[in-house]
Amino acid sequence: MKPKTTLPLLGALAALSLLAPTPPVEARTWTSTDGKPLQAVFLGIEGDNYKFRLQNGQEILVSKDKFIPADHEAAERLAKIGDDSFTKASARQIDTLLATTLKKNGFTSFNEALPDDLFVRRVYLDIAGRIPTREEFLRFAESARPDKREALIDELLLSPGYASHLFNYFADMYRLHASDFQNGIRMDPYIHWWREQLRENRRYHEIVRDMILAEGNVGHNPASGFILRDTGMEFDAFANFGQVMVGIDISCAQCHDHPFDDWTQGDFFQMAAFFGNTQRSIGYRSSSSMMGGGTIEMPNAPPGWRNDFMKWAENYKGIMPRDQNSNSFRFFVNALGWNVADNKDLETVLPHDFIGSGGKPEQVASPRVLLGPTAKTGGKTRREALADWLVAPDNPRFALVIANRMWGRAFGRAIIEPVNDFSDDEIKRASQPEVLKFIESEMRRVNYDLREFMRILYNTRAYQSIATAEEPDLTQKYYFTGPVLRRMRAEQAWDSIMVLSQGAEIDEKQGGDGSFYRKILDIDFSSASHEDVWEHYEMWQSLRGRGSSMAMVSESGDSLPVMVNDTELRASELTQPAPGGSLLDTFGQSDRRITDDHNYDGSVPQVLALMNGSVTRQLTGPSSKIVEDLEALDGPDDKVRHVFFTLLNRFPNKEELDLGTGMMEDYGDEGISDLAWALINSPEFLFIQ
Amino acid sequence: MHIAELAGKDPFSRRYFMEMTAKLSFGLSLSVPFLPRNFRAQDGKKAQNLIYIYLSGGMTHLDTFDPKKDKGVMGRTEMIDTKVDNMKFGMHLEPLAPHADKLAVINSMTSTNGAHEQGQYVMRTGYEKRATIVHPTVGPWAETLLGKRGKELPDSVLVGQSTSNAGFMDPSLSPLPIADPSGGVPNTDPIVEGDRFQRRMEMARKLGQQFTEKFKYSGPQSYVEYYDQANTLLAGDSLKAFDISGESNRSEYGENRLGQGCLLARRLVEHGVRVVEVVAGGWDMHQDIDTGTQNRVPEFATALATLLRDLDERGLLDTTLVAVGTEFGRTPVINMNNGRDHFPAAYSCVLAGGGVKGGTVYGETDGQGRKVKSNPVKPEDFLATMGYGLGLDLEEVVYSPTQRPFTFADKGKPVTSIFG
Repeated sequence: MKPKTTLPLLGALAALSLLAPTPPVEARTWTSTDGKPLQAVFLGIEGDNYKFRLQNGQEILVSKDKFIPADHEAAERLAKIGDDSFTKASARQIDTLLATTLKKNGFTSFNEALPDDLFVRRVYLDIAGRIPTREEFLRFAESARPDKREALIDELLLSPGYASHLFNYFADMYRLHASDFQNGIRMDPYIHWWREQLRENRRYHEIVRDMILAEGNVGHNPASGFILRDTGMEFDAFANFGQVMVGIDISCAQCHDHPFDDWTQGDFFQMAAFFGNTQRSIGYRSSSSMMGGGTIEMPNAPPGWRNDFMKWAENYKGIMPRDQNSNSFRFFVNALGWNVADNKDLETVLPHDFIGSGGKPEQVASPRVLLGPTAKTGGKTRREALADWLVAPDNPRFALVIANRMWGRAFGRAIIEPVNDFSDDEIKRASQPEVLKFIESEMRRVNYDLREFMRILYNTRAYQSIATAEEPDLTQKYYFTGPVLRRMRAEQAWDSIMVLSQGAEIDEKQGGDGSFYRKILDIDFSSASHEDVWEHYEMWQSLRGRGSSMAMVSESGDSLPVMVNDTELRASELTQPAPGGSLLDTFGQSDRRITDDHNYDGSVPQVLALMNGSVTRQLTGPSSKIVEDLEALDGPDDKVRHVFFTLLNRFPNKEELDLGTGMMEDYGDEGISDLAWALINSPEFLFIQ
Repeated sequence: MHIAELAGKDPFSRRYFMEMTAKLSFGLSLSVPFLPRNFRAQDGKKAQNLIYIYLSGGMTHLDTFDPKKDKGVMGRTEMIDTKVDNMKFGMHLEPLAPHADKLAVINSMTSTNGAHEQGQYVMRTGYEKRATIVHPTVGPWAETLLGKRGKELPDSVLVGQSTSNAGFMDPSLSPLPIADPSGGVPNTDPIVEGDRFQRRMEMARKLGQQFTEKFKYSGPQSYVEYYDQANTLLAGDSLKAFDISGESNRSEYGENRLGQGCLLARRLVEHGVRVVEVVAGGWDMHQDIDTGTQNRVPEFATALATLLRDLDERGLLDTTLVAVGTEFGRTPVINMNNGRDHFPAAYSCVLAGGGVKGGTVYGETDGQGRKVKSNPVKPEDFLATMGYGLGLDLEEVVYSPTQRPFTFADKGKPVTSIFG
């Protein structure tokens, strides 16, 4: 056992410790080449030295060459992702809290510890969103390093696969859709912005803040896509806001008082009023004409610019108001006008058929939050007041919701389900209330660094247990003796198939970044001539007829659009969402109309695709990577193992080995191809255990 | 019984709701008993099947089912007589004229949705499009309210689109999508044939067994069942229901997607599928309405005429309701590109078979097809009419996973007078 070290509390940490117990610190023990230990928090690499903080708070530099080789590897890793003393202490704390409650409820302990082979497959799928390659599997299996698990977790958290996989989660939660809009507007820049936030590991509350406060269009400011996403359905947008931000589905209070909870219809509109003077687009009047109505001009444009330009185009470019091409022209002008801005003249007005309590029909609603501390509005815009209220340390929901969601990602089941709609009472009745409280405080302690938060969870003993063998009854409390068995998400299945056919390089390949579309929208109306804007229309026109791939295009040096091959990319890099009938769609990718709508159920079309589809044909065919790699191997045993390593990332047991070698004896390489087919078509392939 | 009572006070997810409702076989009534019941299931007429032809893009009403004497609004389209005195067609519908006595034409459709997606959504689900919930189309509703019918075949099929969903209902109720009516069910050609296929399947079963025994979860087990179903589908005759290659009257239906889609629909209904939606595009005629109608309208008229005749000859017309819907009509004013633009204020839809009183013209627009003069029918009313014909209880309440109550067609009023 390592002795526990106490660190001096930093100022910020001291402030947070008032809110939550600071976990004890388990600092790593470093070893000198002559075998002496040094227990200290690693602070980074400075020139030829490693920097440490000792127990007494003193910071020291020690020459690199004093350490054993394993420590060099650890130093390189920790320099990138940060010291893990707090991480591990926090993980232990979670385990302790879980175990206490487990025992109180009649369980002896966690499930059996996860063996190495199952561990490697699971962490690749959970963290990097795909199965490991055979090489990655073997590298881990053959490593004798004692810290190889934590090292792999860190390596994967730093890999592009981590951001890709997390993107798929948020794409579902935030309903990222490239083209689900009238008038031809695209959201690709906003979608790409999400990819970038996750690649850079932006803090979650900052991402949310940026989205709530965004102004402009998706060209100037891609984060504005969050608000523009639901133009025309502003109250629905607000209902979604409630689900994703505070975990309450208040959509029914839109039309009447909530039948089960305390929300009144008046509450709904008062809360929605925080977006009440948010304007979304030029000349646009919401169908409900309560939010987002009114008229603005193009940002910074001279008054009447829009009409002037339309007339100019008619006179000089032959754009006729009813011409088919003028349709495209109008879409273009509209797209330029889709801008988020605050407009003090707008108000949220209660609907004429308001029937609930807390207001009267057609009354102006003033902004008021429906839970937690009051939102302070002084000297702020309404959206600023809302964003500040949301991420404030005493907001009872925001940190809890994202912590509970992230827990669900690791364990296959959140502590409170469903993650987007639960009452305060359900928080109290949670199976593991102490853990819930703790992870909420940890989310604040790591300051919404989701990578660090997930790192804690993946380092728990609870997570590193074999999956619970019996499906927990959804009506019963689940105490987390380990993760539950899950089917792969559609994106995990797709990305795993991609890595099988393309190799690990697939992680590095990026799709379109929407930059060409941004360029189209990037106009300074204060100085642009009509002819200048017309040039942007011609760029817009150059994308026509490219269907859904339209804004996948990236901008190249000579400003011609570059099409990106749509098919050989990870799911997160494709146009969002994948088209109907695609493998991703078939396996349940959300169509992004409503939040958290990924579907994990099986279907006949799914199994037909696995049995007879082109992907399986390619993976099991004579020229597939799996079959080609066999040539380097001798003997049926190795070949059978190879297929197991590649597809299921585990060693075959004796029975399976015999089955495989038997097939090879009878049918030669055909037998191997059959084995590969059979493994792809066994349920184990699609499930994460 | 309220679904919340079944669930106790515990929170429950979409999945849980689905499992719960699945256990109830979707046949059990979740009605709220105190609602007045004007349209009970038992009032439903004799239709057992539904073929819903959806003309995507907005069918011009003036050039088809609602022609006018006013030449100013008609452009080059001329009015023709049909077998029924008071039913007039645009000339390109001519192949359908001999079947006018089988049709109930509604010329008083009116909607508030001038955009394709919103308009189509409400015409196919009966509900306005929202960002917080997805509403099911007719197929999943019918299966929920009437119970599952078939064993091997799905209860509902969507022809002409590659993807479908069941809205807030269990995904297993999703209509099976068939993108290309001549292509059948995708991925049904095995990579290897005969013994070798069997060998592969056998090995997959053996290798999967340990896993499904190790984990007592419904997920892996359901895949075992889906493999069984897929194999049944591949081995048995049911795939034949999707194969129109042997049909002798393919050319009579028309060698186009709509025609072949209607033929497939007839074949599926004959094999026991309850609801078939056939979606066909090409109706968004902003430019050159003459070319547009010359192309699309005869195609449609031929397909529908052949379908009605074929159903009739096979004794299926009385039990099969055929509906024709679209999201809106097109402007009475012909634009400078000789096209017509979106016009939701007035448009036409059609019903036939399934107990419908043929030769009926319901509702009326003014002399220019601009305004509904009598008996307005909203999209939810049209859906309710289909539901009524199919014997769905229009007041049976089904709860979404978030406990929101829904009834088929959002309280739309069925047009009962068109039924005989």
